[in-house]
Amino acid sequence: MVAAATTRKPAAPGRAAASARASVDRSTRETRTKYLLYVTGGTLAALVFVVPLAFALVRSVQPGEVIVSAPEASTFFDWTSENFRMLAAQSELGRSVINSIIVSVCTAVLTAVVATLAGYGFAKFRFRLLPWLFGLVLLTMMVPFQAILTPLYLEMNALRLTDSLLGLVLFYTTVNLPFCVFVMRNAFEAVPDELEAAALVDGAGIVRLLTSVLRPLITPGFATAALYAFLASWTEFLGALTFLTDQDLYTLPVSMVNLQQGAYGDINFGLIAAGAVVAMIPCVILYVALQRFYVAGLASGSIKG
Amino acid sequence: MSAVTSRATAPAGVPRRRRSDSLTHPRRTGLLLVLPAVAFVVVFVFAPLLAAVYISLTNFPLIGSFEFVGLENFALALSDPVFGRSILYTLVYTAIVTGPILVLGYTLAVIVRANRRGSTLLRTVFFLPFVVGLTTISFIMLLEAQPDSGAVNIVLRWLGITDGSTAWLVDGPLATALICVLVIWGVSGLTMILLMSAMQGVPREVYESAELDGATWWQTERRVTIPMIRRAIAMSVIISVIGSFLGFTQFFILTQGGPGSETTTVVMSIYRRAFVDLQLGAATAMSLLLVLLTALVTALQFWMLRERD
Repeated sequence: MVAAATTRKPAAPGRAAASARASVDRSTRETRTKYLLYVTGGTLAALVFVVPLAFALVRSVQPGEVIVSAPEASTFFDWTSENFRMLAAQSELGRSVINSIIVSVCTAVLTAVVATLAGYGFAKFRFRLLPWLFGLVLLTMMVPFQAILTPLYLEMNALRLTDSLLGLVLFYTTVNLPFCVFVMRNAFEAVPDELEAAALVDGAGIVRLLTSVLRPLITPGFATAALYAFLASWTEFLGALTFLTDQDLYTLPVSMVNLQQGAYGDINFGLIAAGAVVAMIPCVILYVALQRFYVAGLASGSIKG
Repeated sequence: MSAVTSRATAPAGVPRRRRSDSLTHPRRTGLLLVLPAVAFVVVFVFAPLLAAVYISLTNFPLIGSFEFVGLENFALALSDPVFGRSILYTLVYTAIVTGPILVLGYTLAVIVRANRRGSTLLRTVFFLPFVVGLTTISFIMLLEAQPDSGAVNIVLRWLGITDGSTAWLVDGPLATALICVLVIWGVSGLTMILLMSAMQGVPREVYESAELDGATWWQTERRVTIPMIRRAIAMSVIISVIGSFLGFTQFFILTQGGPGSETTTVVMSIYRRAFVDLQLGAATAMSLLLVLLTALVTALQFWMLRERD
């Protein structure tokens, strides 16, 4: 990288011309070795990361018997959509996919909206209580939900929020809020005060302001927050396992564990493979679509947080 | 920061008033904006945390009456051999995975940090397992860890390392090794993203002068890159240490904590105590110890970050 940067840059001023040629020579040679290393290293590493996931796709189209038997060339490529058809037909699993979609989409929207409002408040408003409230929200990053699971369960139970998809959405929103508030506060701090003040003086309300004038500026942050919350809740496991006991409300991972551990000796690995692929696809699509926002947002939120 | 500003302007009186009750940013609007977020964390984090202190001092059952038992639950938690073993196991697991996650994440960051042809694609690819999530990759591993049929065994047999009949998930150390590999593979992408962003923030001039000094690649990394991105390194280590210490999903799906309680993590032992044994008082006491421990680790690392800045 260093070498590449030097060669691309116009000749550095004030440096001896004689040594410049030698240095360029060295840089280009180094670039070539480095580039070769980059290509081979990058390709090998990419294979290590992609092949297992791609192999899961293959598994999902193999019948259960093929998955659990030693691979043979004759049956290995007998691909079928049987697993996915079974998954859709089996009421519990099909239902759980819908539950997961409801919960994760609602969580993504609610988290992003609440974080946007709070991010705006924390970034642009000034009064004495505000830093304390911000500290309070940030402090929750130090209290992982895994550690307050039992009292949280009792409280949710008392509020009738266990065995409820709404309860799960509220829980996931809380878990993802601190990070997303942070991301949104960073987004609003980058908005010029003049732009915002001008719109407010013109009589635009807060909602108008956020949805029209500021929208293009905060969209990357909003997308980061929404995707972060979606990915965190789509296959979240411990909370769903704890707060849901009604089979009709199970989310996909809980229902898959039920499938795996409930029926002894009769695990259908084809269904598990199909379930894993169904769980994997939306993450990959959304991530690839939103990654140019997401990667920058993730880094800024974590480092400054 | 704003607290400092308002205190500084306080003696003047008037400027502070204008600042807090400005026409465009009235105080009440600001409060209304942040209120929903504050309400969420107060209701679902701080209220249960306070309740936890009370519950941990009682012999709280899921149903029926309960009474105050003092510190009995804490004594019970600390002397419980299963809980003690789960702490030890989780510490060992955390110790095993932290180094490799950092090294692999750093290596991947080095590969993708420059904007070369294909580097965006590689970033996507390396981050993919993290995006897919531990739950899903654990289910994928469940299929591939089966003796004779799973890919793990097939590959090892091709390489001539084993005969391919290893039953990974019913043996404590073997299952732990497999889960460690899975997690290192799955979460290094996050470390990569954090370190890569920091590396891209290092000014070019620093590298140019290092090169003029004739520094080798490794000298440049050690003397320039690593010191300049140490905050990001510390942050990514915090995230991975806490994540590992709270590990649950991958163990629950792959081993259910077995055989026996050999691969039971702290969170899993609390979960069992609460929702299988239905001893919520004891489980809550254990939870509080865990809150204390994680808060301590986070605070310590935040403090270390601040100290050096």
